[in-house]
Order: sequence, then C-alpha cells, then structure tokens
Amino acid sequence: MPQIFSRGANTLAKLSLALGLMGAVGAISLLIIFGKSSYVTRANEFVEQPLQFSHAHHVGDDGIDCRYCHTSVETSSFAGIPSTQTCMNCHSQLWVDSPILEPVRASLRDDQSLRWTRVHDLPDFVYFNHSIHGKKGVGCETCHGRVDQMPLMYQQNSLQMEWCIGCHLAPEQFVRPREEVFTMGYRPPVAQAVLGPQLVREYAIQSLTTCSTCHR
Amino acid sequence: MPQWGMAVDLDRCTGCGGCVVACHAENNISTVGDEQAAVGRAKHWLRIERYWEGDFPDVRLKFRPVMCQQCDNAPCEPVCPTYASHHTDDGLNAQVYNRCIGTRYCANACPYNARFFDFFNPSWDKPLQLQLNPDVSLREVGVMEKCTFCVQRIRAAGTQAKAEERDVADGEIQPACVQSCGARALVFGDLENPSSEVSRLSRSPRGSKLLEDTGAQPSVTYLSRLTQV
Repeated sequence: MPQIFSRGANTLAKLSLALGLMGAVGAISLLIIFGKSSYVTRANEFVEQPLQFSHAHHVGDDGIDCRYCHTSVETSSFAGIPSTQTCMNCHSQLWVDSPILEPVRASLRDDQSLRWTRVHDLPDFVYFNHSIHGKKGVGCETCHGRVDQMPLMYQQNSLQMEWCIGCHLAPEQFVRPREEVFTMGYRPPVAQAVLGPQLVREYAIQSLTTCSTCHR
Repeated sequence: MPQWGMAVDLDRCTGCGGCVVACHAENNISTVGDEQAAVGRAKHWLRIERYWEGDFPDVRLKFRPVMCQQCDNAPCEPVCPTYASHHTDDGLNAQVYNRCIGTRYCANACPYNARFFDFFNPSWDKPLQLQLNPDVSLREVGVMEKCTFCVQRIRAAGTQAKAEERDVADGEIQPACVQSCGARALVFGDLENPSSEVSRLSRSPRGSKLLEDTGAQPSVTYLSRLTQV
C-alpha cells in the first residue's frame, strides 16, 4: 500500500498551523483597528446641517470668542447652542440679503429654532461636564481641535473612552492656564513638561477614573 | 475622600412611602405591571418593609425603609465578572450599566435584595416619558440596576464644589429619598467627617446595621424605635 501523505505533507501541516495562527491574530487585529477607525467613530466626517455655518470664518477670520455663542460653557455641563437671536445680533445688519442665511431669517420669521445636528454626540450613558473641564484648564481646542480652521464642523477626535481616559490618566500633558482655555492655536510659553505638573498642582486636578465619574 | 453613608431614624419614619415615589421619579425606575410584579420582577430601589407585631387587637406596626446598604465589604462586587459592580473611592457600590452583561450573580450575592434585574426594556405611557430625569441613564433589558445613593447628585455637588474650590458642605447633597422625607427620618452625609450629622447619628447607641453578621459592613445605620405605638 502506498503512503497516503507525501514527504512534503509535514511541511505543509506546519505551514498551515503557522498560517492559521497568523490569520487569527490578523483577524483580531483588524477588528480592533476597525473599531477605532473613523468609520466607526465618525471622526473627521462632515455632518449635514440645516445651514453651512463656518467656524473658520466666525472664529478664525472674525475672532469671535467661543463664549459669545456657547454661552453656558463656563457654568453648565452643556456648552449651549446659540439661539437664532444670537445669530441675528450681527446678521440683522450684515449680509441681510445673503441667500445662504435664508434659513436663519426663516427661523426668526417663523419662530422655529434651527435644528442643528449634533457633531460631538456622546452615548447617552456618558455624562460630560463642560464647565469643570474649562475651570481645570482644559482648552476647547484640546478636544474639539482647531475649530478656527474648520469651514464645516467635524469631530476631530474619536470620543471613545480610551481617548477620554488618556487625558484623565495624564492631565499634565494637556492642561493649560485658565486664561488660555478659549485660545485657538495655543502654544505653551514654557515646556509643557514643566508647566503641566505645575498647573495640575495649582488647579488641584484629580485623575478621576472611577466609572461613576461619567457613567450613572 | 468622603465616605458616603446614611442614617435612618426608625422612630421618625411614618411609612408614608414618599421616599419610594421620589426614588422612582429621580432615577427613572420603570414599572413592569402587576402581572410581572406578582412574579417578583418589580423594581424598587428603595422599599418600605412592614413588620406586624403582636396579635389582634393588640398589634403594632413597624416600618423600615431598605435601600442598597452601600456595603464597605460588599458581597455583590467580587462576583461580577465584568467589574460592572465595583467600589468607588468614596465608598459607593457603583453599578456601571453599560458594562453589565446580566449574569445576575450580584443580585444572588446581595443579602439585602437591593439589586433588581431589568427583564424588559423600559417604557412609559405618554406623556410620562417627559418626566424622565436626564441626569440618569435608562437601563435596557438584561441589566442589573440598584440604588446609587443618587450618585448623579453626589457628582453634581462635587463638581460644583470643585469649581468653587471648596469642599462639599454637610447636608449639601440630598438623595431624592432624603429630600422627600417629610419626617426627616433619613440623613445622608459623609461618615469620614466626625462632625457631620450622619456621623453623629451613626455613633448613636440606638444604631444598628442590617444583617451585620454577614460581614458586609453596610454604610446605612438604623436607629431603633424609642416610642411604642
């Protein structure tokens, strides 16, 4: 009776084991990479809005402070979305006939709020508080990116828990002086490695990583 | 770091049930209907236990509000395979709903029956959904839920205090049950602070803990009755 397996069969068997293992590792890695990809997190994705509002123009060109529109950012968990009246403070005088602003004028006429689509949308079981982050010296830019360079708003970071925890474990790498919180394009005056730990002490920043800090 | 605790003065409790209602309203606790409640699926993070003593007509009625005892050595915590049930630095038995996979080990380990499993997705008859508390997440089906000492209020007060660069004052935080108790039978506060009212009451000779021999070291002290009804 002839041999069923040829001489090469041993090599083939070993090779298939190695390939199988590599395949399994590869598949798991792919899943992890996919889970962090912008396809899942929706980072760097433009969101359809009722009106093409440009932060680049209003913040970058005009130099309007974040707090002019996001009024409650220093006192509340929610930064606040400006009312139509806030838009009309300027636009009752500027660009009054511009077709692109028609939704704003319609909103005022009909007494119907503009229905913006939320760009930075955390899951419902996450409770984030804007005011305390500002008080502890976390700049708008740290999470929202260079808003003054975004013609259309998009989410720059993954907003995944890993990303939150990254700062909560090492706040000294990200913290800035309180008076610089609303600055775009902030550069630390001295090295962050020196300034960071100093500010963490000064502002009594705690590394809060207890689940119930954000999940209730 | 404060250690949150509660004292319940059974001499003051009239069994009115205001705390139970307040707890449901504050924490978005859904109801399951009478049929499911009859098979033990009702959820009451806080319940009032009734004890009848004596024979008719010489009967006495005693009340005892029972919520999660926020044990220091909680039996529910080590059994959780996903760390959804865990101990916080400030002495709470926190439950992370989005980590919970519904093994229900914790409810089986709890000697106080203080944990409740969601057998259904929550639903409210319109327009009752409008009264939901936005500071508390809704629990979906297959998740264990429990009294949190109104952790949303604790965190909100803590955040406010930190923003104003001070410590949380005694009595500043009131869980919904404490706030709604007309007889002021419930007192909440920091057990670590010896001058807080809850510490003072917890040291009272009238004080005792529920099922102390289980070794769970609960954070709720019950002050026994002095008056006889």
